[in-house]
Amino acid sequence: MLTLILQLLLDGMASGLVYVILAAGLVLILSVPRIFLIAYGQFYMIGAYVVWGATVLLELPYLVSLLLATLITALLSMTSYWLIFRHIHAGEKNFLAMIVAAMGLMLILGQAGLLAFGTSSRGMPAIFTGVLSGADLSISVEKVVIMSASVAVTIVLFLLYEKTKIGRAMRAVACNPEAASLQGIDVTALYLVTMGVSGALAGFAGGMIAPAYGINPEMGNHVILTVLLVVMLGGMNSLVGAVVGGIIFGITLSLGQYFVPDLAQIILFTAIGVIILIRPAGLLGSGVSVDV
Amino acid sequence: MSKRTFAEPTKPIALGLGVIILIGLPLLITSNYYLHLLIVAGMNAVLAMTFVLMLRTGLVSMSIAAFWGVGAYTATLLTMKWGASFWLALPLAAIVAAILALAIGALLVRNAAFSFLILTAVLALLTVFVFGNLKWLGGFIGIDRIPPPDPILLPFLPPIPFDSKPAFYYLMLFLLGLAVIFYRALYNSWAGRAWMAIGLNPRLAESFGVNVFRYRLLSFVIAAGTAGMMGGFYAHYIGAINPYAFNIFKTINVHIFAIMGGVQFPLLGPLLGSFVMTLVPELLRVAKEIEPIILGLWYILLMLFLPNGLLSLLQRAGKRSD
Repeated sequence: MLTLILQLLLDGMASGLVYVILAAGLVLILSVPRIFLIAYGQFYMIGAYVVWGATVLLELPYLVSLLLATLITALLSMTSYWLIFRHIHAGEKNFLAMIVAAMGLMLILGQAGLLAFGTSSRGMPAIFTGVLSGADLSISVEKVVIMSASVAVTIVLFLLYEKTKIGRAMRAVACNPEAASLQGIDVTALYLVTMGVSGALAGFAGGMIAPAYGINPEMGNHVILTVLLVVMLGGMNSLVGAVVGGIIFGITLSLGQYFVPDLAQIILFTAIGVIILIRPAGLLGSGVSVDV
Repeated sequence: MSKRTFAEPTKPIALGLGVIILIGLPLLITSNYYLHLLIVAGMNAVLAMTFVLMLRTGLVSMSIAAFWGVGAYTATLLTMKWGASFWLALPLAAIVAAILALAIGALLVRNAAFSFLILTAVLALLTVFVFGNLKWLGGFIGIDRIPPPDPILLPFLPPIPFDSKPAFYYLMLFLLGLAVIFYRALYNSWAGRAWMAIGLNPRLAESFGVNVFRYRLLSFVIAAGTAGMMGGFYAHYIGAINPYAFNIFKTINVHIFAIMGGVQFPLLGPLLGSFVMTLVPELLRVAKEIEPIILGLWYILLMLFLPNGLLSLLQRAGKRSD
């Protein structure tokens, strides 16, 4: 029994850590440029497809493809900010306009993905094979790689956000954009950088899971709902919250789907609802207030 | 310029003309497909009106489609499992959705506007999984072969069966008219003025003795009831429902319909927006696979250049002539 639970915890961690990366990216977008970017899942989908295209069609090495995916999604994310959200930002009470524009972006990217890569699901050859086992637990090497890469990326992100000058600027702008710009921070440039980092995170996550879980054009639409929940659970403006939320989400779902398969999602979502009801800012958030 | 904030300026001639055109449309449009589009557009218009109703009080609800789904499932269960008449099931669907909204709203509406948005988003995600995971609701496959509404039997007249698009069109028109008249009356009542006061400044409204919580809850409940009624209609019109039809993307689309028309016009905006947004994609069908791309561009361009919706063009023209 104990081994079973440990095994489920391990599996939950593997999927939870991928949510952590995506949630961290979304938290950055929500707290620095404050965009409710429903199109974020599409960057993840595009990242996965770029890796598939680069390794299967162009026969590039996996690591090169992953780097390519990260760069392409970062550029896409920055371009979408420059072309769309930069202009909507200027107005007041623009939350609804942002949602509509983000929905438009989601349609465009989703359909562009469909046209470029086709409607069918794709599998790709596994990059890492083999299974590690010991003490009655087993885990595929693939998942170990995913988990360690996720942890590494999260740590790098935290260092960037907490220790570097640019991270400090991000935190300042998240706190108060006007005051930050008075201190000589180029807010627009910073928003661009943040969008780039977030896009890169999504592309990296997509490219990382592509060999393990397969790819389909709908994956972006599905993942964004999960990531939104994770972010709401952890706190809209807290990176630590994204980490905690992602891991709790992954583990709870993994345990729940084993023991109460029919009710797992209902219980989890209700629990998240109750938590947000008690703590509207999320577990670790400090309450963003967005004018709606 | 006199400022009319609620109801659109009443122009009896334009109104009468609009009603006559709407009633006469099935005579002009014989294609079942276009009638279908009009029926869907009318239904979406009512949903979009519920969005504006809540927005008036400063609430952005992400769970419109969820209550729409509650209505659809309630009506379907009533007619298929318990053999109730459609004409009983339709109001019951609205009542069930409204009661549910009262219970949930009492918890959610207390929160500040942004928390409310997040909570309703969680509610919307939860609803899809509740529908999908309950075996007696058909799971994620949903329920199909839902019977059409029972024929209307009137004395001295032949029964009116629901086996053709025009019949459904007139049913939609009836429900749409009902919603418009009801909402118009509400906006012009004490409740409407309280809503507007809350929308302008909740704290100020409270200081004038408006119970913000109660009036917000009222708008949430009325919106849910209306959406529930349209859900009952939808289920029996389409004949099949599945949980994904009621997901959060549907709600965002409903938002888009209203915003596209212009949310400062609580009835005309949603009406115009949903008709345009239902018909434009059809015109784009010639573009085939790039249609969603053009649609997405249209969303973005409109938000960049006309963020207050299509009707703000009229407003601008009006201002210029004053």
